Amino acid sequence: MGQEIMERIREANEAVITGIDDADIAHWVSIYIMGKAYRVPADITLMQAIEYAGYRFVRGAGCRAGFCGACATVYRVAGDWRLKAALACQTRVEDGMYLVQIPFAPAEKPSYRIEEEAPAGTTLLKHFPEIARCVACNTCTKACPQELEVMDYIQAALRGDLKGVAELSFDCIQCGLCSIRCPAEIVHYHVAQFARRLYGRSLPVPGHVVERVEEIESGVYAEEFERLMSLSREEIEELYKKEQREKGGLKSDDASRVTRNGQGEG
Amino acid sequence: MPNEAVPKSAKASASPQTSHITRYAVPYFPGCALKDQAVGFERSARAALLRLGWELKELPRWNCCGTVYSLSTDDLMRHVAPVRNFIRVQEMGEERFVALCAMCYNTLKRSARFVAADLGRLSRINAFMDEEPDYRGGVEVLHLLQFLRDEIGFEEIESRVEKPLYGLKVAPYYGCMLLRPREVGIDHPDAPETMELLFEHLGAEAVNSPHKVECCGAYQTVANPGVVRERVREIVGAVARRDADLIVTSCPLCTYNLERHQLSITGEEKTRHGIPILYFTQLLGFALGVPEGELGLGGAAIDPRPALSQLVGG
Amino acid sequence: MAEELKLVRGYPEYMLESIERVHAARAKRIEEGPPPAMSMEEREEVLRFHPDHAPGGKRPLKVGPNKGDIAPNEVADLLEAYPLVDPAELDLTVDIDAEVLILGGGLAGTTAALWANEEGIPPDRILLATKLRHGDSNSIMAQGGTQAADKPYDSPVIHFLDAYGGGHFTNKTDVLRALVEDAPFIMKWLTELGCLFDRDENGEFVEDWGGGTSRPRMHAARDYTGMEELRVIRDEFRNRGFMLLEFYPAVELLTSPEGRVNGAILWNMEIGEYKVVRAKAVVLATGGFGRLHIRGFPTTNHYGATADGLVLAYRAGAVFRDLDTVQYHPTGAAYPQQIVGLLITEKVRGLGAHVVNREGECFVYPLEPRDVEAAAIIRECYERELGVVTPTGMHGVWLDSPMIEEIHGEGTIERRLPAMFRMYKRFGIDMRKDPILVFPTLHYQNGGVETDPWGRTNVEGLFVAGEVSGGVHGKNRLMGNSTLDCLVFGRRAGVAAARYVKELPDQGPLTLGHVEKFVEELRTAGVPEGRRSPILLPDYRGKRVLARMIDLL
Repeated sequence: MGQEIMERIREANEAVITGIDDADIAHWVSIYIMGKAYRVPADITLMQAIEYAGYRFVRGAGCRAGFCGACATVYRVAGDWRLKAALACQTRVEDGMYLVQIPFAPAEKPSYRIEEEAPAGTTLLKHFPEIARCVACNTCTKACPQELEVMDYIQAALRGDLKGVAELSFDCIQCGLCSIRCPAEIVHYHVAQFARRLYGRSLPVPGHVVERVEEIESGVYAEEFERLMSLSREEIEELYKKEQREKGGLKSDDASRVTRNGQGEG
Repeated sequence: MPNEAVPKSAKASASPQTSHITRYAVPYFPGCALKDQAVGFERSARAALLRLGWELKELPRWNCCGTVYSLSTDDLMRHVAPVRNFIRVQEMGEERFVALCAMCYNTLKRSARFVAADLGRLSRINAFMDEEPDYRGGVEVLHLLQFLRDEIGFEEIESRVEKPLYGLKVAPYYGCMLLRPREVGIDHPDAPETMELLFEHLGAEAVNSPHKVECCGAYQTVANPGVVRERVREIVGAVARRDADLIVTSCPLCTYNLERHQLSITGEEKTRHGIPILYFTQLLGFALGVPEGELGLGGAAIDPRPALSQLVGG
Repeated sequence: MAEELKLVRGYPEYMLESIERVHAARAKRIEEGPPPAMSMEEREEVLRFHPDHAPGGKRPLKVGPNKGDIAPNEVADLLEAYPLVDPAELDLTVDIDAEVLILGGGLAGTTAALWANEEGIPPDRILLATKLRHGDSNSIMAQGGTQAADKPYDSPVIHFLDAYGGGHFTNKTDVLRALVEDAPFIMKWLTELGCLFDRDENGEFVEDWGGGTSRPRMHAARDYTGMEELRVIRDEFRNRGFMLLEFYPAVELLTSPEGRVNGAILWNMEIGEYKVVRAKAVVLATGGFGRLHIRGFPTTNHYGATADGLVLAYRAGAVFRDLDTVQYHPTGAAYPQQIVGLLITEKVRGLGAHVVNREGECFVYPLEPRDVEAAAIIRECYERELGVVTPTGMHGVWLDSPMIEEIHGEGTIERRLPAMFRMYKRFGIDMRKDPILVFPTLHYQNGGVETDPWGRTNVEGLFVAGEVSGGVHGKNRLMGNSTLDCLVFGRRAGVAAARYVKELPDQGPLTLGHVEKFVEELRTAGVPEGRRSPILLPDYRGKRVLARMIDLL
């Protein structure tokens, strides 16, 4: 029984893992990888299409799930003058796509000793004076595959609003497309990373964490652990089942409400 | 186009008990400095305007004005930032706004005139900003001093003064951006009177001086501080010799220069304790009875509180 | 994928009937609650459907320190394989000399570098080498959270119990104790570095439930937890001036004649050149094996998860444990085809979403430990035939994500699960309004190189941290304990490596003697010559193109 189910599962996943069988494909599209035409199955991702065409990624593929920014791609669709940006792993192919990947953005990051930097707006300008060159053209926002308001967070950086930068830039995966397109040559994601760290450091470590660390360091739990280690397997299992059952009296909706990165809702 | 230097008469004044109810609101552009280095300027402005029955409505999602105004005539890119702010105003359903920082005022007003002068420029900028609604043109850029003078009126303001500034000698410092070029100046470029009239309506004595309309040195403070020190020596020296208690400005950069370089002047030219620099809204707010805590006086490099506390009943 | 399908709200029309049943039954399901958690006996019963229990997937190893022990076929194929490089053809003149060499640039490797430095090794004497970019790892995709028992209602002892029971009481207890006792310190360290974890209105950490936890202790940064942790420590790494080599996977370790690990051969994947690195200690932090697609499952893992570290360590004589178990995350995306296998974080269930079959019924307690949950879903789809079948033939069940909005208020999904919301939006599905389809996906290497609580292995000079290690999770890992594993043991391994190198006068001459010995063992065991490892990258190139490929340059 077990083996039969495994075979059925393996078969169902065949297309995704070992590649699609050409015989199964009903619809095709043409895409142009750095100008070269390739006929690929419709309805797959750009990343799958580039591999189908015969490329084996060394650069240009990372998490394959939209978290790492390795597969940043710029493209135009035939007949449309607009330049678009996307993540290859998260974008479906379109007929007539002309694309190229940009797997690396040259972007210097200044070194700093974070413990010596004040959580103030002037700190950002000190290390990234070029943010004052922002002309509010919004090109960065249009280039962002995560649809973030990039210009808005640079504007927040300009006026020293670290919390604003943190909130607006949080989902940034540092693909670099904004910085490549920026006419003012700002390196947005390095500014944002710095601002988020500064903001994070301006929030105190919650008291409950500090207390617990002190307790552990002073050996408060040593005795309990010794006792636990001396129990038999059955006794431990009973303890485990009890905790799983009772959950310390807590209920499933005992989790606080939170806003983005910081202060909660009242 | 010459500007009127004569204050218009005010709207019907409200009785003091209702002065905290805002019956009116005007869109407001803060600019970057007022959110960081010059928070006192904004705070005092909000509080003072409230006392006059007005609310300052901050533009949503405003962006840096891009100061200073770009002098290259084929550079449309530098007008994108100001125009985007004008679109915000129109998205609020409004057709005018006030700025406090003189540099923001100057940059925004000149940009407004630039796109108004040639519709081709406006349509190209609108086409570039394809993710925004078009700017329809016509947004009026005002400086708060203009607004106080022409819309609210100095007599109305006088009627609401709670702490008259009798005995206080206040020197206005206009600098450049409020007055030049002529087309965007809020007053006569060589002999302005707006601030003096305001001070007098608040009960203070205005201290005129010949350097009140000269440049403080602006961004030369970064690479060429010696130049700024010379300017400040002249500007402050002139008002010191006229026994001014305070200097009043409308620009965070002027304030920065006048404070920092005053403190670096030594020798017989050094004023004894340093003359404090206030934003006009802080002086206005003080006279209107705004509590000190809401005026942001603590941020000043030279403490103005001793000068203010010496007032009769103050 | 064969016919042109009409899509409604992102789903093929034929699925709508089932979706409507999910919507219709929701109110009642919320009122009644899910089925109760399983008893230990019921857990054993359902585990028969776990892929680990189905025959045909594993075999005893023929060679090496764990000869006779069971490992998945795909892993055994790599362990029983010949080296990529021919020892006779390599010149072992040292190119780079370091005190500590760290292999792998995820959470574990980066943390090891920082703490080796904290312990006194100058940054320009520490080399971090990665196969792809620094940060390309499974760590960066971790979504739901990091466990730490730092609230008054919780304690490290309870955390220990949860992980021990979840691991079927097979975890190495001294290592597990180190994990749970270090956890609050790690949270403090990360916060002081500037990490932004979710907080409530009092500034305290918001902590959620996870599968198999008896207290809510999952610390999260939206659903970008791994990314937030890694990018902060990576930023700190970049500030300090370490040596860094990207796109330079290790293809062999180097050993002294006595068998002490003292370096590695790194290979530049872009140009083909190799570098010989000499080090006094090597920290192996090479991550997992999802791209081996064990049993033909899709995976949540990143592109480079090909078990390289296991291969290298095995040849050097490292002992493994618990390789006979593989973690399948219960909820990988099952639709649309473009995202099959990608992680749907446990946090979705932690926030209350039910696991629902085709008929709209919640058929299992949503927060069982992962192996139990995954088995239950497989049973529901393939034995009870109550799953939904996708156009590509995958079976799946629903995760009723709209419940989250109902329980916690509108806007919760955008706030707490922005990455997932964004992913589904890209493919035309609004997970706030419609449920999402899931099926188990290959996720985590439970076992690996055995260590002591300081990341030390049975091989001198070799330290291990993170997913590639084995013992701390036993035979099944709980949510939120993997990022914790990387951080705790990245630190411990870094510290231990630093202390070790300070005592070590000389690491001895570099040889590939251990590889030559291993090759002998392979030949004796009759392993066919064609098999080579590590494989470094999976190969997804189109079959038709591959059939016409020749290497002419």
